[in-house]
Amino acid sequence: MRRALVKIVDHRATPYVVLGVITLFMISPFIWMGLSAFKTHSETFRYPPTYFPENFTLDTMYEAWYKAPIPTYLKNSLIMCLVSTFIIVVAGTFTGYALSQYQYKGSNMVLGLFLFTRTIPPLALLLPYYLVLMKLRLLNTRLAVVFYLIYLSYPLVVWLLKGFFDQFPRALIDSAIVDGCSRTGAIFRIVIPVAATGVYAIAVVAFMWAWNEFFAPFLFIHYDELKPITVGLYYFVGDEYTYYNRMCAAGIYAVIPSLLFFLLAQKYIVRGLTSGALKY
Amino acid sequence: MKLRNSGYGMVLSVPGLAILLLWVLIPFSYVFYISFLRYDNILPVIPTGLANYREVLKDPSLPIILIRTFIFSFGSTGLTLLTSVILAVCLNRIVRGSAFFRSLVVMPWAVPLILSGFLWAWMFHPSFGPISDLLMKVKLISEPLNIYKKPSMAMAGVIIADAWRRIPFLTIITLAGFQSIPPNLYEAAKVDGADSFHTFRHVSLPLASRPMLIGTLITLMFSFRSIDVIYSMTPGGGYAKSTYVLGAYLFDYMYEFLNFGLAASASVILIILTFAIGAFFIYYTLKKG
Repeated sequence: MRRALVKIVDHRATPYVVLGVITLFMISPFIWMGLSAFKTHSETFRYPPTYFPENFTLDTMYEAWYKAPIPTYLKNSLIMCLVSTFIIVVAGTFTGYALSQYQYKGSNMVLGLFLFTRTIPPLALLLPYYLVLMKLRLLNTRLAVVFYLIYLSYPLVVWLLKGFFDQFPRALIDSAIVDGCSRTGAIFRIVIPVAATGVYAIAVVAFMWAWNEFFAPFLFIHYDELKPITVGLYYFVGDEYTYYNRMCAAGIYAVIPSLLFFLLAQKYIVRGLTSGALKY
Repeated sequence: MKLRNSGYGMVLSVPGLAILLLWVLIPFSYVFYISFLRYDNILPVIPTGLANYREVLKDPSLPIILIRTFIFSFGSTGLTLLTSVILAVCLNRIVRGSAFFRSLVVMPWAVPLILSGFLWAWMFHPSFGPISDLLMKVKLISEPLNIYKKPSMAMAGVIIADAWRRIPFLTIITLAGFQSIPPNLYEAAKVDGADSFHTFRHVSLPLASRPMLIGTLITLMFSFRSIDVIYSMTPGGGYAKSTYVLGAYLFDYMYEFLNFGLAASASVILIILTFAIGAFFIYYTLKKG
């Protein structure tokens, strides 16, 4: 019995068969989204459902783009995510670098504090954020969401960057300093250029977290022209029915930017996550 | 005057620490403060001591909400872990097509959770979705499958939608764990007469256990505290409140009933329960390997 199982498991084709099945599961929502985005509204409500669009139409993609404020939503998402990611990564680079290379009394405690912060549920801080932003008169601004997004991934980014700089060859920094470079000069001339790809990968992770965020902009913003794409998807949820085909079209527009960033940085993300996040 | 290295480190981390203080620690303390206030947007705001906590803890639906929260988070994490380990084992064994399969498998990572909920909600739709239709075509079921009218199936549905989005992360972490194992260990095990099950049980698992454990704890923490999928897939907690978890309860007090005091105390309870998982995460992360 066991030998028979081993024989099946060890067969050369087995991993491909298993991978094929699970991969199908993983990409099935993409397939369904891709097919539905080219169906007409009535075809999405047919029973039994059709798989390939019977009347292949580009109208849905067109309508989602031009009749709903999708371009505005995407622009808002991009602004919010890029600004918050930029702030997080700049502040996080220096903090992570200091915690890794110039340890001081209490720096381990600071590190522990960052780690603890990662266990705080973002959902639980929505209320205090809402009240503070209300008092600052920042509700219904993109800045409100940027504020929250900084909180959201800052601890993770510092932690990842610290782990990343731990592996940075110290000799490179020391030799630059021996050659007359100041410590700060060494950061800009040596560390940042050499570490750029790793920092970029971590920036992509922060960007994707920000892109994924729904509840904060949902609570903080009520004007259509300021909403990001995650909240914008609700544009297609009506009182009577949901425009599934247009939502799929919007979903495609929503996924493309973060998927592009992600696939471009995939190699570095994998390396960054596995070395920085987990190897302490 | 030139700072010593330790002083330089402190100066460098000042902006970062300022952000930590202003952005995290202040809102974090503020939510505790609100939880001790009567803040229901009707009556004047006054301190009420532990009244909010008493009300939440006395809520007769709290036990079932907590049970659902545990079923959801452990179910999602269990499904994620199982799928990720199988995927990682397969990806680790193949050479040709490895990058291709890996790229496809990690794609859900780029999908916002809220969209994952919408997509799966429609895939599971009893009349217009493909899952019920396909199951009927292969004669596994005789009438349309309506997961939204059966509490346990609705829960399974949101678990699938949640796990789907979390599998890529854990797969990558587990795969990296497997790949860090020196190949000669497998050869040594083979020489000793171990078959694939033995090597998996006694070589792969123990040597990759640390990243897998930490990755699993991160996944567990995330699914314990996030409600995006539940919110978009089964609005309002679904039929018979079958997917109504602690996060949804908190969100309703804040957004539907505008009772900020109760919402804050529910937030604190969520913080404490998440920390019960987070403590293990911190412990294993700090433990030197």
